[in-house]
Amino acid sequence: MIEIELQPWQQMTAHAEATYPNECCGAMLGSTDENGKTVTVALALDNASTGSQRARYELRPEDLLKADREARSRKLELIGIYHSHPDCDAYFSETDLKNSCPWYSFVVLSVQRGRFDHANCWLPDAEQTHAEKEELSWPKS
Amino acid sequence: MAKILIPTPLRQYADKKDSLEAPGSTVGEVLAAATAQHPDLRKQIYTEEGKLRSFVNVYLNDEDIRYLDKDKTAVGANDTLSIVPSIAGGWAGERA
Repeated sequence: MIEIELQPWQQMTAHAEATYPNECCGAMLGSTDENGKTVTVALALDNASTGSQRARYELRPEDLLKADREARSRKLELIGIYHSHPDCDAYFSETDLKNSCPWYSFVVLSVQRGRFDHANCWLPDAEQTHAEKEELSWPKS
Repeated sequence: MAKILIPTPLRQYADKKDSLEAPGSTVGEVLAAATAQHPDLRKQIYTEEGKLRSFVNVYLNDEDIRYLDKDKTAVGANDTLSIVPSIAGGWAGERA
């Protein structure tokens, strides 16, 4: 189970809407305990995909390294990655799977006609062949 | 000994530590020494054939070792190694 607090959630959905019709991406920082993961900070990161960004995103490893250092400096953990699917469902696509990493939770935000619509969270396996849905909780107001 | 920063989800395979120290004069030697002490960590980083998994990048301080001398890159006692995944994706026009 992964729970996203109000402030990071608002930042993530605002980022996804502002980036529409392109895909956005970012890192989620927070903490983990026996009850699950809690996201308390969202870090917007550059979409470094050199082709059309309407249906592709790419994180620079050095940006992820900076996000990990930011988490360490705040005594938080880098626990997940988010990205948007403009005018598309929040499923975990073949492209998502083939370019994933099993260490993190992957939140996908569906943006329909420029507005946030729904979201899902996924946990890919190490072989990049399958992703399990992870229960996702966000502020509904 | 060089320091290796452990990503949060991998700390469970490294005695819950956020960093490890290991001996060695190259990146390959340091990682081999660290993962020899933590075999479950090794499975996360290396394939069964002993190659770094496709999504794993290793940084020596701020430099990606792919642009240095890869696993033969020299490591000093005050250097820090970071394990950083490659991540990309998108719906790529698969379905509307």
